[in-house]
Amino acid sequence: MEQFCEITLDRERLKSEVRTTYTKVAEAPGGDFHFHRGPEYAARQLGYDGDELAALPESATASFAGVGNPFRVREIPAGAVVVDLGSGAGMDCLLAGRRVGEKGRVVGVDMTDAMLELARKSAAQAGMPQVAFEFGEITDLPLADASVDVVISNGVINLAVDKPAVFRDIYRVLKPGGWIQFADIVVDHELSDKARNDIDLWVG
Amino acid sequence: MMQATGFQRCVATEFFDSFAGTSKEGIARKYGVRGANFIAFKD
Repeated sequence: MEQFCEITLDRERLKSEVRTTYTKVAEAPGGDFHFHRGPEYAARQLGYDGDELAALPESATASFAGVGNPFRVREIPAGAVVVDLGSGAGMDCLLAGRRVGEKGRVVGVDMTDAMLELARKSAAQAGMPQVAFEFGEITDLPLADASVDVVISNGVINLAVDKPAVFRDIYRVLKPGGWIQFADIVVDHELSDKARNDIDLWVG
Repeated sequence: MMQATGFQRCVATEFFDSFAGTSKEGIARKYGVRGANFIAFKD
């Protein structure tokens, strides 16, 4: 059953709040947030391989704030072109970079400068030239049509007000035969209009 | 929503208790907020 909720909140303010929150996460991942961060959480509650995370730069893993584990959905093929929507500090991009290898390519897209800075530093430290990061929004990806084999994302699409626009742009950049494997939050119960339009509940 | 865009074989594959142990655990339990893995294909 399709469900489209009416969202009347200030979209620009929401975008600004998201940027502010994730800039704080990038600058102080040990700060007080309503969501978990870091590699211990990822291994303990989301089934990431703790040893694989320990081999990555701390700058990539400390700010991780995903809600699931896209890598448990399907193997990412060697040589693939992968895009990570809302790549944050780059943890999932580096994991994808290990899987696609030197003949593949991973592009992380994020709209928070502080996260992009961490991610680029992490990719350089990890020695993964196949992983790059671009500034952009997930409703208007800085990528050509039909240029991507696999799209991944982790806990980001829920932050976009216009979710149909997100999926339209994912569809645009995927090659025929490509796929999206992603994690995000789901809500089992109907939310009130007040809750749907409360920016604090969107970004915490 | 994904099928309306053209995606095929859209499936939720796994769920996670992502907010357990956070300050929002109570709200998450009240509304049934969980993490989930998904896959969908562009055929």
